[in-house]
Amino acid sequence: MTPWNLLRALLLTTVASATLAGCNVARLTINTPLTPQHVAFITEGRTTLADVVNVLGAPDSMAEAESGTTVIYRFLNAKYSRVNFGWLAKPWSPVDPDLIMSRSGFGADAFELICDSDWVIIHQAFVRHGPEPLFTPYPF
Amino acid sequence: MRIAGVLLAVMILTLNACAFSRGTLGDELKTETINSIKKGITTRADVIAQLGAPDRILQLNGRDLFQYYRYDAKVGSLLLILVNFSRVSVKSDDLFVLINREGTVEEVIASKRTEGMEFRFWPWGD
Repeated sequence: MTPWNLLRALLLTTVASATLAGCNVARLTINTPLTPQHVAFITEGRTTLADVVNVLGAPDSMAEAESGTTVIYRFLNAKYSRVNFGWLAKPWSPVDPDLIMSRSGFGADAFELICDSDWVIIHQAFVRHGPEPLFTPYPF
Repeated sequence: MRIAGVLLAVMILTLNACAFSRGTLGDELKTETINSIKKGITTRADVIAQLGAPDRILQLNGRDLFQYYRYDAKVGSLLLILVNFSRVSVKSDDLFVLINREGTVEEVIASKRTEGMEFRFWPWGD
């Protein structure tokens, strides 16, 4: 089983078990979500990969680049919320009504660095710049 | 104090169930094993003898990069009558060993993020 298959199974189990109540709030985080504040200490041309590893830990992957090595930190901050308004009618209804609104936000992102042959950071950037997802069950 | 007691009483009265589950992927990367890998001394064969075959082998400017990883996932759920809270936390331990053309270790990059990871059900906060 690959790491991503393990995560999918966990997410499905969590969401499936969470659908048994009127309201559900669930969150999945993979590694520590990084923000620009977390990486503000990095100065291109001066900071080394060893400095970065001391603060952020080891990266998730490394790859060969034309000008050196690409180093990638991946993280995910997924949020899920759900409201079943049918629960309000349950005490009075002969059937089991459902009126469900739910919404998921997958804050998948990665922080990429490029190091030269001396392991000095020469470029850095986040892959995405989207806002952090919110717990908002309203889907429209 | 009184408010905390009232909140605790309400939570107990509305508590339906709690759930804790955990999943791991890969072998544990022991700190002493990582520390025993010395730059310029340890060979490719030593690394494989201590840690086994790597999970991934990459080519980095003509050198081999061995990657070892372990994932740990902890799931906590608080199931109340009207509302459920769940949180899944996944972190990884990673070890990269760069082996030069002569077959000895050139660089070791490692960290253990899973240490201290707790079961949590509250979805807000860090």
